Amino acid sequence: MKERTFYILLSAVVALGVALTAALVIYTAYEYNNCSIITYIATELW
Amino acid sequence: MDRIKKSTAVAMIVLIAAVFISLNVSIYMLFTRRVVDEMTVEERKDAISLTDYLPFADGTRAVTVGSSLAFTDRDKLPVLDGAAALYPVYASVAASVYPEGSVVFEGGAFSEGSAVQFRNTLRAYRAVADGDADIAFCAAPSKEQLEYAASVGAELELVPIGREGFVFIVNEDNPVSGLTSEQLRGIYTGRYKNWNELGGPNRIIDPKTRLAGSGSQTVMEHFMNGEQMITGRMFGFLGASVGYSFRFYVEAVPRDLSVKMLAVDGVFPSAENIKNGTYPLVTEFYAVCRADNDEENVRRLLDWLLSDEGQSLIEAVGYARIK
Repeated sequence: MKERTFYILLSAVVALGVALTAALVIYTAYEYNNCSIITYIATELW
Repeated sequence: MDRIKKSTAVAMIVLIAAVFISLNVSIYMLFTRRVVDEMTVEERKDAISLTDYLPFADGTRAVTVGSSLAFTDRDKLPVLDGAAALYPVYASVAASVYPEGSVVFEGGAFSEGSAVQFRNTLRAYRAVADGDADIAFCAAPSKEQLEYAASVGAELELVPIGREGFVFIVNEDNPVSGLTSEQLRGIYTGRYKNWNELGGPNRIIDPKTRLAGSGSQTVMEHFMNGEQMITGRMFGFLGASVGYSFRFYVEAVPRDLSVKMLAVDGVFPSAENIKNGTYPLVTEFYAVCRADNDEENVRRLLDWLLSDEGQSLIEAVGYARIK
């Protein structure tokens, strides 16, 4: 595989990953500001 | 041009993708999953489904009692409002005393002319002070709510109509089942940082608080006796939370959720222990109106709430009577 092709593919995967992670974090922060404490505690991982 | 071995390139790209997938799954499992459910954003803020207790609706959980007070369409009906935790009470009051058709619920909210409104504690106190609601069913007001009323020239009249337990909650899998008042204050001042200091597992304590001005937050501030509360902890979301609310609200209002109430000073907040006064954190709740509101039906309704019929209704909904 050409190095240039590899870096383009790698950049695309990283960009997609960063975008998805950022969207999830923003969505989570938004939901956190509106969530019920009871629901939050009830869904704790044990 | 330089070339990279195809298998190496594919492995690196797959590895990077796997890192992002793992990261996102971890964020989802640790955090997102805990703050998302099927309720609307408005319902989640208040953690109550208004339709469950909608007066006169088919299958409503609003309670009705035989009442010697029965308003008709010709009466000027007091507009009722209040806290989420007390919505079942005033929805039941309307179902027992108000005429059918006086409560209008459309598009997920009460209509402007409806005799029942739902603004929750933060806005219900303001609505009473401004004259937009006649009676608010709430816990004791915060300093800010009293100051707002004074700023608009309103004196608030607080009529105690029932009692309720103020409770602390944890996940039902948390092995801690009870704490002393001093330990609870210690958690919220930051003195205790890990559950293993309180007989629990080695996990960070994540103390959750409510919005300033909400009923439970005002009660919590009284409970803290002026000590400064912390509002969360770094990486607390990796630990185990503790929060607070009112007993009936935890037991009856939310759907089946995996939380449990803690015994305080060795006494569990059962309805019986709240009623007989052995549970230490019992608070009164009020029907709140403007002191200068001399509408006849407001006074009739306040008197009815303190009558045996009104007190029976409060008990039938699930709270402790005051008389």
